[in-house]
Amino acid sequence: MKHLQLPLSRADVEGLELGEMVLVSGRVTMSIGLPTHQRMVEWLDAGTPLPVDLRDGAFMHLSCYNREREDGQGHEALYLNPTTSTRYNAHMPRLIEGCGLRLVGGKAGLDRASVEAMQRQGCVYLSFLGGGCTLLSRAIRSVASVHWPEYIAQFRLLTLEMNGLGPATVAIDAHGNSLYENLARQAQQRVQQARHPVGTPD
Amino acid sequence: MPITSEQITGLTADLYEWAIKKIPEDTKAALAGAAAVESNDTGRQTLRIMMKSADAAETSGGLVCSDIGIPTYSIKIGTRVQFDGPVRQAIVDGLARVMARSDPPLLKMVTNPLTHERGHAGKDMPIVSFDLIDDADYLDITCAPKAMGTGRWEAAENFVYPTLQQIEDYVLDVVLRSGSQACPPIVVGVGIGGTFDHAARIAKEAVLRPFGLENPEPILAAMEQRLLKAVNQLGFGPMGTGGDTTAMAVHINHSASHGFVPVAVALNCWINRRTRARIYGDGRVERIE
Repeated sequence: MKHLQLPLSRADVEGLELGEMVLVSGRVTMSIGLPTHQRMVEWLDAGTPLPVDLRDGAFMHLSCYNREREDGQGHEALYLNPTTSTRYNAHMPRLIEGCGLRLVGGKAGLDRASVEAMQRQGCVYLSFLGGGCTLLSRAIRSVASVHWPEYIAQFRLLTLEMNGLGPATVAIDAHGNSLYENLARQAQQRVQQARHPVGTPD
Repeated sequence: MPITSEQITGLTADLYEWAIKKIPEDTKAALAGAAAVESNDTGRQTLRIMMKSADAAETSGGLVCSDIGIPTYSIKIGTRVQFDGPVRQAIVDGLARVMARSDPPLLKMVTNPLTHERGHAGKDMPIVSFDLIDDADYLDITCAPKAMGTGRWEAAENFVYPTLQQIEDYVLDVVLRSGSQACPPIVVGVGIGGTFDHAARIAKEAVLRPFGLENPEPILAAMEQRLLKAVNQLGFGPMGTGGDTTAMAVHINHSASHGFVPVAVALNCWINRRTRARIYGDGRVERIE
């Protein structure tokens, strides 16, 4: 299994193949807030630098419980888990290219506009295990930064230091190929055969 | 001996906590069985990671999924049961108790649909359905925290004197639309007949049926087998990244209906959250799953 160390170059991610499993280490930024995505796009459009530099980095749809430490010594992240990425379809092409991302991820993929933005940018999508909370959270090392604390925990723009986050499956590559599109197309072809006429033998 | 509000509060809190930390035994067995025969490498590895994830949560007391969903309880009341104190409020208090005592705290998932404000509680939360069991001396409570990553793909439609083939085609269409999105391998629950709301309710009950129980209606037993086979030919696989294992089970319930027949399709994701227990009139609590 490949171990990806952030930040990553275009060549690093162009070598990743659909279906390959990887682990991710380094700084991973995350949010599952729609308002967070909207604000990020607005800031990019206004030319305002985002509070975290995401160039050559990772922005994931991971839902993380984080809070101020009780001893007042900064912030802590207690657990994380992926959420469905497709609900951010409208914002992701702008974020992928505008931020210069190399890795995006979550679960269930992104649409064609994002796949094309990823191809132009040199970026791959990683599918994490939905229901992988305890397992995936073992990779959390520390909180690098937390921005926009006015949002609820999982909506904040949070950057964590990770060690071996995963395993995750490369589900959209940097060459315009999407496992989700391939499988949906295959299922459309197979469904006619799969329909079992009632009353006929198996 | 009457069942007290405190007993109900305690048990509804425990059921929720168990549901978010441990997947059902039949589901573990189904995943292991699927991993043994899955022909797709990615699918097989993903199934193994699922088993590892469930085990990690169970042995460490952690969460399986951070999306704790919206709380739903299905409560069947034995007609010989007596109550001491409020019942509906006791269930609301049980939910508040589990939210208050969870360490680490649980994420806010309950969302006001009008303002999008999120919290651990909300109007009509938890969602509770009640039914009666004649002559029983116990309260039977099922808790199924419902994450909407699968819920958003559920659907219902009204048909006119549908053929079995039309019903099966519709179920397949719903599963096809959910595709890679619903955290497969899923459980598909189908409700045929009754009224629109009733069809949805019996579809949900079908989802919650333990694996391996033969459908007493032979027409539906055959339909379940056909549909499971068909769904698993689609190829979405575990987590929707390819494989033979798209569903663990298809369960179908039916009720008498009109010529216009509602058909509802409910879905559950691979962690298949479901816990169930009974409180008896003598104070005994029996955990069923």
